[in-house]
Parts: sequence; structure tokens; C-alpha cells
Amino acid sequence: MAAPAKILVVDDEEDLELLMRQRFRRQVRRGEYDFYFAHNGREALDVLAETPDIRLVLSDINMPVMDGLTLLSQLEEIEANVSAVVVSAYGDMANIRTAMNRGAFDFVTKPIDFNDLQVTVEKTLRHIQVLEDALASRDRLVALRQELVVASQVQTSVLPAALPATEHFEVHAEMTPAREIGGDFYDFFSLDEYRMGLVIADVSDKGIPAALFTMVSRALLKAAARNHESPGACLHEVNQLVSQDNDACMFVTLFYAVLDLRDGHLRYCNGGHNPPRLICQGEVQEVPSSNDIALGIFMEHEFHDNEVVLCPGDALFLYTDGITEACNAQEEEFGEQRLDDLLSDAADAPVPDLIATVVDAVEEFAGGVAQFDDMTCLALRLNSNKPA
Amino acid sequence: MANQSSLTVASEEQDDAVVLCPTGRVDGTNVTILQGAVRERLEASQVRLVFDLVELNYISSAGLRVLLMAARDLQAQGGKAVFCNLSEQIRQVFEITGFDKILSVHGNREDALAAL
Repeated sequence: MAAPAKILVVDDEEDLELLMRQRFRRQVRRGEYDFYFAHNGREALDVLAETPDIRLVLSDINMPVMDGLTLLSQLEEIEANVSAVVVSAYGDMANIRTAMNRGAFDFVTKPIDFNDLQVTVEKTLRHIQVLEDALASRDRLVALRQELVVASQVQTSVLPAALPATEHFEVHAEMTPAREIGGDFYDFFSLDEYRMGLVIADVSDKGIPAALFTMVSRALLKAAARNHESPGACLHEVNQLVSQDNDACMFVTLFYAVLDLRDGHLRYCNGGHNPPRLICQGEVQEVPSSNDIALGIFMEHEFHDNEVVLCPGDALFLYTDGITEACNAQEEEFGEQRLDDLLSDAADAPVPDLIATVVDAVEEFAGGVAQFDDMTCLALRLNSNKPA
Repeated sequence: MANQSSLTVASEEQDDAVVLCPTGRVDGTNVTILQGAVRERLEASQVRLVFDLVELNYISSAGLRVLLMAARDLQAQGGKAVFCNLSEQIRQVFEITGFDKILSVHGNREDALAAL
């Protein structure tokens, strides 16, 4: 059973204490109410200081030492977490208004009608309960938000650090999650002296479940990338692992490519992801599909390798659908055509500028409309082949 | 967060099957509507479902996940989910993600019903 509600009764009439105990004896006996008494505002403040979990104060107005209206001001001043009900003479509207303006929750009139008082006390206690529940929810929400902030930091910290451009290549990526934590991820890493792995991925749905799935997929792919030269073999392995016991039917679309800096050969496997763009001598083209599927939806699927060749000066642009499906206030989508036009115009820009051009254009297009989806871009340019 | 996108799911019975017709957009804000429509049928032991997507303008990955779960859950109960009348945009999403290879997708409702 819940702890009794602690009620402080403030009145200079000595016999009220007896009356209250008598009228509310059942509630006291059942452990619902616990009464405290004070004879003026000053005493009331002392009792509250000793018993900080009193939530309801029932106070007379005219009292010696400190009257009820002053007590209300004091309660406001010390930000006491109590709800007050004032007891005033019938028709004493001036004092009742003053009391209400000083934060009283309700009032009852003298002579006290105990049935009315009981209803008022019950109503006030319910109000207090609602307030306390709301405060507890707020505290939990604050705690949860704090956890999300930490989770977001963890998620960001596993993304690869920016790499300085070299004479052979430059790579850059940016991710803008729609919420605290995202369902997109990207990665780039060197496999050996000549070969680089590039990843972009988008997990079904958003929020915490998606974020957990991104962490798993990312780690599995990175491990598989060390074991298999073929991107298709990597995706096959990751698919096997994420498809097992996948009761929630989560899936991830993932493009993984291995670039050989010696000859510009880009071997890739596209697991159901939006086709990246190849910017070849200023011309933008889709990286051909490898006819594969998202990871997590079908364990038996055989993944394939495809290959394109980058010439020095060519760039590769990977993105998630948060870019092309960004919506403006008219519910138009940004779309692939706008993306291709931008890439074509900025074809020769350094890759960080190329990405900034796209991100800025999407932002301008959306015109402040909040986006539902994470937006991620990764771009790489081959500056020159690396001699073997 | 932004408002819920508009989605309604109409349903009708046809040839011992139930045809669900989602209208509007399915995304993270409203997938529970689609999920609820499927669950209702499962609970009524109606496990032969046609998803007629002719009025569906957009589906996010959250929506695809619900379709996948529906197909799996129906199959687990000895039923089947088939899909038809994909608009150009939905068809593209199915193709890119490979869902067209995993789910039973048909051009029109007649073919879909025949495939049940």
C-alpha cells in the first residue's frame, strides 16, 4: 500500500485538531491520511521544515503571529512543494482571491462542511499525485535524454576520423542524424598499403533499435573485410550473421567497395542500397547494380561482386536516401535529378566541398522542414594511381 | 517531432482472401497503423493477404520491415502475403532493396490472388 498522505492543518482554534481526527478517523486508521497540526503560519513553516514530505496544507486565513495569506507567500518564496487549500469565512471573496493569486489550489468556507472538505482534500491529493507522476516522468525523460546523448557520442566516436588528402586520394564523409542517434553509418579504412574499404549503410527504421543494429552491422562488416578480398563474400558473411534470429525483421542496405589505388579498380557489392554515383570526367553515372538484396532479409542469398574503374581525377559519391527523399513544405522530394545536377556542376570540387554543396542544397530545398531520415554522404576522389 | 503522415488501410474480402489497400505514405510515424491492420487479420486467422499498393505513394524502410514481418508471420501460420499494383516509386524501392526478390510481387490483383 502507498504511504499515507501527509496533511498539515493550520488553524488557531484548538478544537479543530480533535474535530479533524474525529471526522477523518477512518482514513487515519486505514493509513490513508496522516495529520500534522500548527496554530499559525510560523509554526506551519517549522513543521514543514521538519517534515519535508508534507504535500497538502489546509490553512485558516486569520491567525496570530503569521496569517494564512503571509504563509502562502512564504510557501511560494521557499518554493515549497505543497498544494494549499485555504479556509475562509463565507463570502470573504477578497481574501479568497488573494489566496488564489498567491498559489492556493482551492478553498473551503467556514463553518466547515466536512463532506465538502473531504471531497476537496481528495481532489487536491489526486492533483498532487498527477503532479508528482509528471515530475517523475520528467526526471525519467531527462535521464533517458542524457543516455541518448551518451549513445550519440558513442555512435559518433566509432565513425572514422577525417583523413588528410594525399597525392593519391582524398575521402570525406558527413552524417546528419534526424534524431539523437541514427540508423545510417559509413566507414572507410585501409586494408593494406594499396587497398581501401569504403562503406555506406542505412538500417531499417530509426532510433534506438536501428542504432543497435548499425553498431552490430558495422563491426561485423569490418571483421569480414579482413577475412575476404571479395566484397560479395563479405556481405554474404554479414548477411548470414544478421539474418540469424532476426525476429524483428531488421535489415540494412549496405554498399561495400574495395578500391585498389594502384589501378583504380573498384570492386563492390551493393546490398540493396541506393546506387552510388561515379563522377567520371565531369559526367555523373550510376554505379551499376550488383542485383543483390538488403542484408538481414534472406539468409540464402548469394552476393555478387561487380567492378568499375576509376581514372585519376574521377570521384565516387555514396549517399543514403535521407538525401534524395528529403522533403520540402510542399512535400516534394529532393530527388535524384537534383543530386545528379549538383554533382555534375561540382564535379571537380575537392570532396569536402562536393559534400557541402549537396548538404547545403538539401537544407535549402527543405527550407527548415524537419526531416525524418538520417542524411549521410561519403565521397572519394582518386587523385593519382599509387605505384605498385 | 513532425506530425504523423497520412495513412489509411482499407480492406475487403475477395475469393477467400483479404485485400489490404494502404493509401498515402507509410513511414516511421505511422507504421503501427499498417502493423495493426495485419495483426487484426492474423488474430482473425485470416492468413491469405493481398497487399494492393496502388494507392501507396511512399514507403520508408520502417514500412518495408512491416511488410517483411507480415510475410513471415503469415507464412508461419500456413498463409501467405502477396503484393500487387506497385507504383513506379514503390517498385523502385522494392528493386533497389531486393524486396522484389524476396516477396511475392505481381502486376495486378488478379495475378496476385492467383498466386495465393
